[in-house]
Amino acid sequence: MNALTGRQGWHAELTLGYQLRGDKTRLVDSKREGPLAVQRAFYPEGEVCHTYLLHPPGGVVAGDDLNIDLQVSKDAKVLLTTPGATKFYRSIGPVAEVSQRLTVAGGGSLEWMPLENIFFPGTQSHIVTEVHLEAGAHFIGWEINCFGRPSNEERFETGQLSSEMRIYRDGEPVMFDRFATDGASLIDSSIGLKGVSGYASMVATVDDQDLLEQVQQLLSDDPLSGATLMDGLLVVRTISEQSQEVIFLFSSVWRLIRPQSLGKEAAAPRIWAT
Amino acid sequence: MLSDLRLFQLISPSLPVGAFTYSQGLELAVEAGWVDSQERFEAWLTEQLNHSLTTLELPMLDRMLNALYEADAQAFNQLTKELIAWRETKELRLEERQRGAALARLLPQLDVNLEGLLLEACQRTQLAGIAIAAHQWQIPRDKLFAGYLWSWLENAVMAGVKLIPLGQTQGQQTLQRMAYSIEQSVEHSKGVLNPSSVTPALAIASSRHETQYTRLFRS
Repeated sequence: MNALTGRQGWHAELTLGYQLRGDKTRLVDSKREGPLAVQRAFYPEGEVCHTYLLHPPGGVVAGDDLNIDLQVSKDAKVLLTTPGATKFYRSIGPVAEVSQRLTVAGGGSLEWMPLENIFFPGTQSHIVTEVHLEAGAHFIGWEINCFGRPSNEERFETGQLSSEMRIYRDGEPVMFDRFATDGASLIDSSIGLKGVSGYASMVATVDDQDLLEQVQQLLSDDPLSGATLMDGLLVVRTISEQSQEVIFLFSSVWRLIRPQSLGKEAAAPRIWAT
Repeated sequence: MLSDLRLFQLISPSLPVGAFTYSQGLELAVEAGWVDSQERFEAWLTEQLNHSLTTLELPMLDRMLNALYEADAQAFNQLTKELIAWRETKELRLEERQRGAALARLLPQLDVNLEGLLLEACQRTQLAGIAIAAHQWQIPRDKLFAGYLWSWLENAVMAGVKLIPLGQTQGQQTLQRMAYSIEQSVEHSKGVLNPSSVTPALAIASSRHETQYTRLFRS
Protein backbone atom coordinates (compact mmCIF):
# COMPACT_ATOMS: atom_id res chain seq x y z
CA MET A 1 0.00 0.00 0.00
CA ASN A 2 1.34 3.41 -0.90
CA ALA A 3 1.14 5.95 1.91
CA LEU A 4 0.40 8.85 -0.41
CA THR A 5 -2.10 7.43 -2.85
CA GLY A 6 -3.54 4.60 -0.75
CA ARG A 7 -3.15 1.96 -3.43
CA GLN A 8 -1.11 -1.14 -4.09
CA GLY A 9 1.60 -1.20 -6.74
CA TRP A 10 0.23 -1.90 -10.20
CA HIS A 11 1.42 -4.63 -12.45
CA ALA A 12 0.83 -3.51 -16.01
CA GLU A 13 1.73 -4.87 -19.44
CA LEU A 14 1.15 -3.13 -22.71
CA THR A 15 2.00 -4.74 -26.04
CA LEU A 16 1.71 -2.68 -29.19
CA GLY A 17 2.36 -3.96 -32.70
CA TYR A 18 2.31 -1.60 -35.67
CA GLN A 19 2.19 -2.58 -39.34
CA LEU A 20 1.98 -0.77 -42.62
CA ARG A 21 -1.45 -1.49 -44.15
CA GLY A 22 -2.00 0.17 -47.50
CA ASP A 23 -0.85 3.77 -47.18
CA LYS A 24 -1.10 4.03 -43.38
CA THR A 25 0.55 2.49 -40.36
CA ARG A 26 -2.02 0.73 -38.17
CA LEU A 27 -1.93 -0.50 -34.62
CA VAL A 28 -2.81 -4.10 -35.49
CA ASP A 29 -1.89 -5.84 -32.28
CA SER A 30 -2.64 -4.40 -28.90
CA LYS A 31 -2.77 -6.24 -25.60
CA ARG A 32 -3.08 -4.68 -22.21
CA GLU A 33 -3.21 -5.74 -18.65
CA GLY A 34 -3.45 -3.13 -15.89
CA PRO A 35 -3.54 0.64 -16.22
CA LEU A 36 -1.17 1.29 -19.15
CA ALA A 37 -3.04 2.24 -22.30
CA VAL A 38 -2.95 4.15 -25.56
CA GLN A 39 -5.55 6.53 -26.94
CA ARG A 40 -6.99 5.96 -30.37
CA ALA A 41 -4.36 6.57 -33.06
CA PHE A 42 -4.63 9.64 -35.23
CA TYR A 43 -3.09 10.73 -38.51
CA PRO A 44 -2.31 14.47 -38.66
CA GLU A 45 0.25 13.94 -41.45
CA GLY A 46 -1.07 10.99 -43.41
CA GLU A 47 0.87 7.74 -43.11
CA VAL A 48 2.56 8.18 -39.71
CA CYS A 49 0.57 6.69 -36.87
CA HIS A 50 0.53 9.16 -33.94
CA THR A 51 -0.18 7.59 -30.57
CA TYR A 52 -0.62 8.94 -27.04
CA LEU A 53 0.64 6.69 -24.30
CA LEU A 54 -1.26 6.91 -21.00
CA HIS A 55 0.47 6.00 -17.76
CA PRO A 56 -1.45 4.90 -14.67
CA PRO A 57 -3.74 7.70 -13.54
CA GLY A 58 -2.14 9.55 -10.65
CA GLY A 59 1.43 8.61 -11.60
CA VAL A 60 3.85 5.85 -10.77
CA VAL A 61 4.11 4.70 -7.15
CA ALA A 62 6.11 2.29 -5.02
CA GLY A 63 5.90 -1.30 -6.16
CA ASP A 64 4.54 -0.50 -9.63
CA ASP A 65 5.83 -2.82 -12.30
CA LEU A 66 5.10 -1.38 -15.72
CA ASN A 67 6.13 -3.10 -18.95
CA ILE A 68 5.82 -1.81 -22.48
CA ASP A 69 6.67 -3.88 -25.53
CA LEU A 70 6.34 -1.92 -28.75
CA GLN A 71 7.09 -3.33 -32.19
CA VAL A 72 7.24 -1.41 -35.43
CA SER A 73 7.20 -3.73 -38.45
CA LYS A 74 8.93 -3.24 -41.78
CA ASP A 75 8.29 0.21 -43.31
CA ALA A 76 5.74 1.20 -40.63
CA LYS A 77 6.01 4.71 -39.13
CA VAL A 78 5.05 5.51 -35.58
CA LEU A 79 5.23 8.64 -33.42
CA LEU A 80 4.51 8.19 -29.76
CA THR A 81 4.15 10.80 -27.05
CA THR A 82 2.36 11.32 -23.75
CA PRO A 83 -0.38 13.87 -22.98
CA GLY A 84 1.25 14.95 -19.70
CA ALA A 85 4.29 14.59 -17.48
CA THR A 86 4.81 11.20 -15.84
CA LYS A 87 5.13 11.52 -12.08
CA PHE A 88 7.14 9.14 -9.93
CA TYR A 89 5.97 9.53 -6.33
CA ARG A 90 7.68 9.08 -3.01
CA SER A 91 8.12 5.45 -1.97
CA ILE A 92 7.89 3.93 1.47
CA GLY A 93 10.22 1.15 0.35
CA PRO A 94 9.47 -0.88 -2.76
CA VAL A 95 11.01 0.14 -6.06
CA ALA A 96 8.86 1.16 -9.02
CA GLU A 97 10.10 -0.71 -12.09
CA VAL A 98 9.46 0.50 -15.61
CA SER A 99 10.66 -1.65 -18.46
CA GLN A 100 10.27 -0.51 -22.07
CA ARG A 101 11.27 -2.59 -25.06
CA LEU A 102 11.08 -0.88 -28.43
CA THR A 103 11.77 -2.79 -31.64
CA VAL A 104 11.96 -1.27 -35.11
CA ALA A 105 12.28 -3.33 -38.29
CA GLY A 106 14.13 -2.28 -41.44
CA GLY A 107 12.59 0.70 -43.21
CA GLY A 108 10.42 1.37 -40.18
CA SER A 109 10.62 4.43 -37.97
CA LEU A 110 9.83 5.17 -34.37
CA GLU A 111 9.72 8.63 -32.85
CA TRP A 112 9.60 8.17 -29.09
CA MET A 113 8.93 11.58 -27.63
CA PRO A 114 7.27 11.43 -24.23
CA LEU A 115 6.86 14.56 -22.12
CA GLU A 116 9.01 14.84 -19.01
CA ASN A 117 9.34 12.47 -16.06
CA ILE A 118 9.09 14.15 -12.67
CA PHE A 119 10.78 12.27 -9.86
CA PHE A 120 9.43 13.37 -6.48
CA PRO A 121 11.82 13.44 -3.53
CA GLY A 122 11.92 10.02 -1.89
CA THR A 123 11.05 8.05 -5.00
CA GLN A 124 12.61 4.65 -5.65
CA SER A 125 12.44 4.26 -9.40
CA HIS A 126 14.21 2.08 -11.88
CA ILE A 127 13.62 2.58 -15.60
CA VAL A 128 15.16 0.54 -18.40
CA THR A 129 14.50 1.30 -22.05
CA GLU A 130 15.85 -1.15 -24.61
CA VAL A 131 15.79 -0.14 -28.25
CA HIS A 132 16.36 -2.85 -30.86
CA LEU A 133 16.97 -1.56 -34.36
CA GLU A 134 17.28 -3.72 -37.43
CA ALA A 135 19.50 -2.51 -40.27
CA GLY A 136 17.77 0.38 -42.01
CA ALA A 137 15.50 1.19 -39.07
CA HIS A 138 15.05 4.83 -38.07
CA PHE A 139 14.75 6.02 -34.51
CA ILE A 140 14.45 9.36 -32.80
CA GLY A 141 13.93 9.20 -29.05
CA TRP A 142 14.31 11.33 -25.99
CA GLU A 143 14.04 11.23 -22.28
CA ILE A 144 13.51 14.32 -20.13
CA ASN A 145 13.99 13.90 -16.39
CA CYS A 146 13.27 16.44 -13.64
CA PHE A 147 14.29 15.77 -10.07
CA GLY A 148 12.32 17.10 -7.12
CA ARG A 149 9.99 20.03 -7.58
CA PRO A 150 12.14 23.14 -7.86
CA SER A 151 9.04 25.37 -8.16
CA ASN A 152 8.00 24.25 -4.65
CA GLU A 153 11.59 24.36 -3.44
CA GLU A 154 11.46 20.62 -2.87
CA ARG A 155 14.90 19.38 -3.80
CA PHE A 156 15.65 15.75 -4.59
CA GLU A 157 17.57 15.07 -1.40
CA THR A 158 16.31 11.59 -0.62
CA GLY A 159 15.36 8.71 -2.85
CA GLN A 160 17.08 6.77 -5.57
CA LEU A 161 16.56 6.52 -9.25
CA SER A 162 18.19 4.93 -12.21
CA SER A 163 17.18 5.47 -15.80
CA GLU A 164 19.00 3.54 -18.45
CA MET A 165 18.78 3.34 -22.23
CA ARG A 166 20.33 0.51 -24.20
CA ILE A 167 20.36 0.72 -27.98
CA TYR A 168 21.21 -2.28 -30.15
CA ARG A 169 21.59 -2.42 -33.91
CA ASP A 170 21.17 -5.89 -35.43
CA GLY A 171 21.60 -7.31 -31.93
CA GLU A 172 24.93 -5.56 -31.30
CA PRO A 173 25.30 -2.95 -28.54
CA VAL A 174 25.69 0.51 -30.04
CA MET A 175 24.91 2.89 -27.20
CA PHE A 176 24.31 2.38 -23.49
CA ASP A 177 23.53 5.44 -21.41
CA ARG A 178 22.44 5.85 -17.82
CA PHE A 179 21.60 8.50 -15.31
CA ALA A 180 21.34 7.52 -11.67
CA THR A 181 21.46 9.33 -8.38
CA ASP A 182 21.25 8.46 -4.72
CA GLY A 183 19.70 11.52 -3.11
CA ALA A 184 21.36 14.60 -4.58
CA SER A 185 24.78 12.92 -5.00
CA LEU A 186 24.91 13.03 -8.81
CA ILE A 187 22.78 16.18 -9.01
CA ASP A 188 25.29 18.18 -6.98
CA SER A 189 28.40 16.51 -8.44
CA SER A 190 30.68 18.61 -10.65
CA ILE A 191 30.74 15.77 -13.17
CA GLY A 192 27.01 15.09 -12.73
CA LEU A 193 24.43 17.88 -13.02
CA LYS A 194 26.39 20.68 -11.31
CA GLY A 195 23.55 21.44 -8.89
CA VAL A 196 20.85 21.63 -11.57
CA SER A 197 17.80 19.40 -10.94
CA GLY A 198 17.16 18.12 -14.45
CA TYR A 199 18.81 16.17 -17.24
CA ALA A 200 17.65 15.20 -20.69
CA SER A 201 19.07 13.29 -23.62
CA MET A 202 18.01 12.72 -27.19
CA VAL A 203 19.21 10.06 -29.63
CA ALA A 204 18.62 9.78 -33.36
CA THR A 205 19.79 7.55 -36.17
CA VAL A 206 21.72 10.15 -38.12
CA ASP A 207 25.00 9.77 -39.97
CA ASP A 208 25.70 13.20 -41.36
CA GLN A 209 28.46 15.50 -40.16
CA ASP A 210 26.79 18.62 -41.60
CA LEU A 211 23.65 17.92 -39.63
CA LEU A 212 25.72 17.46 -36.47
CA GLU A 213 27.34 20.84 -37.05
CA GLN A 214 23.93 22.48 -37.46
CA VAL A 215 22.79 20.95 -34.17
CA GLN A 216 26.04 22.02 -32.45
CA GLN A 217 25.41 25.53 -33.76
CA LEU A 218 21.96 25.46 -32.18
CA LEU A 219 23.51 24.56 -28.81
CA SER A 220 26.56 26.79 -29.01
CA ASP A 221 25.39 29.41 -26.48
CA ASP A 222 24.48 26.93 -23.76
CA PRO A 223 27.54 25.54 -21.94
CA LEU A 224 25.38 22.82 -20.34
CA SER A 225 24.32 21.26 -23.66
CA GLY A 226 26.32 19.20 -26.12
CA ALA A 227 25.88 17.10 -29.24
CA THR A 228 28.02 14.34 -30.67
CA LEU A 229 27.79 11.88 -33.56
CA MET A 230 29.12 8.36 -33.07
CA ASP A 231 28.58 5.07 -34.84
CA GLY A 232 25.53 6.33 -36.72
CA LEU A 233 23.84 7.96 -33.74
CA LEU A 234 23.40 11.64 -32.98
CA VAL A 235 23.26 12.20 -29.23
CA VAL A 236 22.21 15.48 -27.63
CA ARG A 237 22.52 15.97 -23.88
CA THR A 238 21.37 18.92 -21.83
CA ILE A 239 21.44 19.76 -18.15
CA SER A 240 18.36 21.86 -17.36
CA GLU A 241 15.45 21.87 -14.92
CA GLN A 242 13.21 23.90 -17.27
CA SER A 243 11.35 21.07 -19.01
CA GLN A 244 9.47 23.47 -21.31
CA GLU A 245 12.77 24.85 -22.58
CA VAL A 246 14.15 21.35 -23.07
CA ILE A 247 11.07 20.33 -25.07
CA PHE A 248 11.47 23.47 -27.16
CA LEU A 249 15.17 22.70 -27.73
CA PHE A 250 14.60 19.03 -28.60
CA SER A 251 11.71 19.98 -30.92
CA SER A 252 14.08 22.35 -32.72
CA VAL A 253 16.66 19.57 -33.12
CA TRP A 254 13.87 17.25 -34.25
CA ARG A 255 12.72 19.72 -36.92
CA LEU A 256 16.30 19.97 -38.14
CA ILE A 257 17.00 16.24 -38.39
CA ARG A 258 13.61 14.77 -39.28
CA PRO A 259 13.72 15.48 -43.02
CA GLN A 260 17.04 13.63 -43.32
CA SER A 261 16.54 11.02 -40.64
CA LEU A 262 13.00 10.08 -41.67
CA GLY A 263 12.50 11.79 -45.01
CA LYS A 264 9.61 13.78 -43.54
CA GLU A 265 9.10 17.39 -42.53
CA ALA A 266 8.37 17.80 -38.84
CA ALA A 267 4.76 18.18 -37.80
CA ALA A 268 4.67 18.83 -34.06
CA PRO A 269 1.96 16.93 -32.22
CA ARG A 270 -0.73 19.43 -31.22
CA ILE A 271 -0.42 18.43 -27.62
CA TRP A 272 2.98 20.11 -27.28
CA ALA A 273 1.42 23.46 -28.12
CA THR A 274 -1.03 23.35 -25.20
CA MET B 1 58.89 -9.82 -9.23
CA LEU B 2 58.82 -10.12 -13.03
CA SER B 3 55.02 -9.62 -13.12
CA ASP B 4 55.46 -6.39 -11.09
CA LEU B 5 57.98 -5.11 -13.62
CA ARG B 6 55.66 -6.06 -16.48
CA LEU B 7 52.91 -4.04 -14.78
CA PHE B 8 55.22 -1.02 -14.46
CA GLN B 9 55.95 -1.26 -18.16
CA LEU B 10 52.26 -1.55 -19.05
CA ILE B 11 51.19 1.51 -17.04
CA SER B 12 54.23 3.68 -17.74
CA PRO B 13 53.71 7.04 -19.49
CA SER B 14 56.54 5.85 -21.78
CA LEU B 15 54.27 3.13 -23.25
CA PRO B 16 53.84 4.42 -26.80
CA VAL B 17 50.03 4.64 -26.97
CA GLY B 18 49.84 8.43 -26.80
CA ALA B 19 48.00 8.55 -23.46
CA PHE B 20 49.29 12.08 -22.86
CA THR B 21 47.33 13.41 -25.86
CA TYR B 22 43.88 12.92 -24.27
CA SER B 23 42.18 15.03 -21.58
CA GLN B 24 38.75 13.31 -21.47
CA GLY B 25 36.78 16.55 -21.48
CA LEU B 26 39.05 18.34 -19.02
CA GLU B 27 40.28 20.81 -21.64
CA LEU B 28 36.72 22.06 -22.20
CA ALA B 29 35.90 21.93 -18.47
CA VAL B 30 38.83 24.27 -17.83
CA GLU B 31 37.79 26.63 -20.62
CA ALA B 32 34.18 26.66 -19.34
CA GLY B 33 35.47 27.67 -15.91
CA TRP B 34 34.24 24.46 -14.28
CA VAL B 35 37.74 23.45 -13.23
CA ASP B 36 39.74 26.52 -12.23
CA SER B 37 41.66 25.47 -9.12
CA GLN B 38 43.51 22.55 -7.62
CA GLU B 39 40.58 21.90 -5.29
CA ARG B 40 38.01 21.76 -8.10
CA PHE B 41 40.37 19.67 -10.18
CA GLU B 42 40.61 17.08 -7.42
CA ALA B 43 36.82 17.10 -7.06
CA TRP B 44 36.45 16.54 -10.83
CA LEU B 45 38.95 13.65 -10.78
CA THR B 46 37.34 12.09 -7.71
CA GLU B 47 33.91 12.17 -9.34
CA GLN B 48 35.26 10.71 -12.58
CA LEU B 49 36.95 7.99 -10.58
CA ASN B 50 33.82 7.24 -8.53
CA HIS B 51 31.23 7.34 -11.30
CA SER B 52 33.11 5.98 -14.29
CA LEU B 53 36.39 4.18 -13.60
CA THR B 54 35.16 2.41 -10.44
CA THR B 55 31.74 1.53 -11.83
CA LEU B 56 32.55 0.81 -15.47
CA GLU B 57 36.21 0.28 -16.35
CA LEU B 58 37.40 -1.82 -13.42
CA PRO B 59 34.33 -4.11 -13.43
CA MET B 60 34.68 -4.51 -17.21
CA LEU B 61 38.40 -5.22 -16.87
CA ASP B 62 37.57 -7.83 -14.23
CA ARG B 63 35.02 -9.50 -16.52
CA MET B 64 37.44 -9.37 -19.46
CA LEU B 65 40.05 -11.17 -17.37
CA ASN B 66 37.48 -13.80 -16.39
CA ALA B 67 36.73 -14.38 -20.07
CA LEU B 68 40.46 -14.72 -20.85
CA TYR B 69 41.04 -17.21 -18.02
CA GLU B 70 38.07 -19.20 -19.34
CA ALA B 71 39.50 -18.94 -22.87
CA ASP B 72 36.14 -17.53 -24.02
CA ALA B 73 37.09 -15.19 -26.88
CA GLN B 74 33.43 -14.65 -27.83
CA ALA B 75 32.52 -13.38 -24.37
CA PHE B 76 35.66 -11.24 -24.32
CA ASN B 77 34.81 -9.67 -27.68
CA GLN B 78 31.24 -8.98 -26.56
CA LEU B 79 32.51 -7.16 -23.44
CA THR B 80 34.62 -4.84 -25.58
CA LYS B 81 31.55 -3.98 -27.68
CA GLU B 82 29.63 -3.16 -24.51
CA LEU B 83 32.48 -1.00 -23.21
CA ILE B 84 32.52 1.04 -26.42
CA ALA B 85 28.71 1.35 -26.24
CA TRP B 86 29.12 2.97 -22.81
CA ARG B 87 31.60 5.57 -24.13
CA GLU B 88 29.52 8.72 -24.29
CA THR B 89 30.98 10.69 -27.19
CA LYS B 90 32.81 10.42 -30.48
CA GLU B 91 36.10 11.60 -28.96
CA LEU B 92 35.92 9.19 -26.02
CA ARG B 93 35.27 6.33 -28.47
CA LEU B 94 38.13 7.47 -30.70
CA GLU B 95 40.43 7.53 -27.69
CA GLU B 96 39.56 3.91 -26.88
CA ARG B 97 40.11 2.88 -30.51
CA GLN B 98 43.31 4.83 -31.14
CA ARG B 99 44.95 3.62 -27.94
CA GLY B 100 43.67 0.12 -28.65
CA ALA B 101 45.10 0.16 -32.17
CA ALA B 102 48.47 1.33 -30.80
CA LEU B 103 48.47 -1.53 -28.29
CA ALA B 104 47.48 -3.97 -31.03
CA ARG B 105 50.63 -2.95 -32.94
CA LEU B 106 52.89 -2.94 -29.90
CA LEU B 107 51.91 -6.05 -27.96
CA PRO B 108 52.87 -8.61 -30.64
CA GLN B 109 56.36 -7.02 -30.60
CA LEU B 110 56.46 -7.81 -26.87
CA ASP B 111 55.64 -11.50 -27.44
CA VAL B 112 51.96 -11.15 -26.57
CA ASN B 113 49.78 -13.38 -28.76
CA LEU B 114 47.08 -11.39 -30.49
CA GLU B 115 45.04 -12.97 -33.20
CA GLY B 116 41.49 -13.41 -34.44
CA LEU B 117 38.82 -12.08 -32.10
CA LEU B 118 41.39 -10.93 -29.55
CA LEU B 119 43.09 -8.73 -32.13
CA GLU B 120 39.72 -7.33 -33.22
CA ALA B 121 38.79 -6.66 -29.58
CA CYS B 122 42.12 -4.96 -28.88
CA GLN B 123 41.67 -2.65 -31.86
CA ARG B 124 38.24 -1.72 -30.50
CA THR B 125 39.33 -0.68 -27.01
CA GLN B 126 42.57 -0.12 -25.14
CA LEU B 127 41.07 -1.83 -22.08
CA ALA B 128 41.12 -5.10 -24.05
CA GLY B 129 44.85 -4.70 -24.73
CA ILE B 130 45.52 -4.08 -21.05
CA ALA B 131 43.52 -7.20 -20.12
CA ILE B 132 45.27 -9.39 -22.71
CA ALA B 133 48.75 -8.25 -21.65
CA ALA B 134 47.95 -8.60 -17.95
CA HIS B 135 46.61 -12.10 -18.55
CA GLN B 136 49.70 -13.26 -20.43
CA TRP B 137 52.10 -11.61 -18.02
CA GLN B 138 50.18 -13.01 -15.02
CA ILE B 139 49.80 -9.69 -13.27
CA PRO B 140 47.70 -10.10 -10.10
CA ARG B 141 44.30 -8.42 -10.41
CA ASP B 142 44.42 -5.99 -7.48
CA LYS B 143 47.81 -4.73 -8.58
CA LEU B 144 46.60 -4.39 -12.13
CA PHE B 145 43.50 -2.43 -11.05
CA ALA B 146 45.51 -0.06 -8.85
CA GLY B 147 48.12 0.31 -11.60
CA TYR B 148 45.50 0.99 -14.25
CA LEU B 149 43.90 3.71 -12.11
CA TRP B 150 47.31 5.16 -11.33
CA SER B 151 48.20 5.47 -15.01
CA TRP B 152 44.84 7.18 -15.67
CA LEU B 153 45.45 9.54 -12.75
CA GLU B 154 49.01 10.35 -13.78
CA ASN B 155 47.91 11.28 -17.31
CA ALA B 156 44.95 13.30 -16.03
CA VAL B 157 47.18 15.21 -13.60
CA MET B 158 49.73 15.95 -16.31
CA ALA B 159 46.86 17.32 -18.44
CA GLY B 160 45.59 19.38 -15.48
CA VAL B 161 49.03 20.81 -14.75
CA LYS B 162 49.23 21.99 -18.34
CA LEU B 163 45.65 23.25 -18.71
CA ILE B 164 44.58 24.87 -15.43
CA PRO B 165 47.59 25.44 -15.03
CA LEU B 166 49.05 24.05 -11.80
CA GLY B 167 52.64 23.96 -10.58
CA GLN B 168 54.56 20.70 -10.75
CA THR B 169 54.53 20.49 -6.94
CA GLN B 170 50.76 20.96 -6.86
CA GLY B 171 50.49 18.13 -9.37
CA GLN B 172 52.49 15.88 -7.05
CA GLN B 173 50.28 16.88 -4.10
CA THR B 174 47.19 15.92 -6.09
CA LEU B 175 48.72 12.54 -6.93
CA GLN B 176 49.56 12.03 -3.26
CA ARG B 177 46.04 12.85 -2.05
CA MET B 178 44.23 10.97 -4.81
CA ALA B 179 46.11 7.77 -3.96
CA TYR B 180 43.70 7.22 -1.05
CA SER B 181 40.74 7.36 -3.43
CA ILE B 182 42.39 4.80 -5.71
CA GLU B 183 42.65 2.35 -2.84
CA GLN B 184 38.91 2.72 -2.11
CA SER B 185 38.02 2.56 -5.77
CA VAL B 186 39.62 -0.86 -6.23
CA GLU B 187 37.58 -2.19 -3.28
CA HIS B 188 34.29 -0.56 -4.37
CA SER B 189 34.63 -1.83 -7.92
CA LYS B 190 34.30 -5.41 -6.65
CA GLY B 191 30.72 -4.79 -5.53
CA VAL B 192 29.51 -3.46 -8.89
CA LEU B 193 26.89 -5.82 -10.34
CA ASN B 194 25.98 -3.94 -13.51
CA PRO B 195 28.85 -1.92 -14.97
CA SER B 196 27.83 1.59 -16.05
CA SER B 197 29.05 5.15 -15.95
CA VAL B 198 27.13 8.29 -14.95
CA THR B 199 29.04 11.43 -15.91
CA PRO B 200 26.70 13.78 -17.81
CA ALA B 201 28.80 16.93 -17.37
CA LEU B 202 31.89 15.12 -18.65
CA ALA B 203 29.89 13.81 -21.63
CA ILE B 204 28.74 17.34 -22.44
CA ALA B 205 32.26 18.72 -21.99
CA SER B 206 33.62 16.04 -24.31
CA SER B 207 30.90 16.80 -26.91
CA ARG B 208 31.66 20.52 -26.79
CA HIS B 209 35.38 19.81 -27.02
CA GLU B 210 34.76 18.75 -30.66
CA THR B 211 34.13 22.41 -31.53
CA GLN B 212 36.49 24.05 -29.01
CA TYR B 213 38.44 26.74 -30.86
CA THR B 214 41.94 26.11 -29.50
CA ARG B 215 42.78 22.57 -28.51
CA LEU B 216 45.96 20.94 -27.23
CA PHE B 217 44.35 17.54 -26.59
CA ARG B 218 42.55 15.00 -28.77
CA SER B 219 39.73 14.44 -26.27
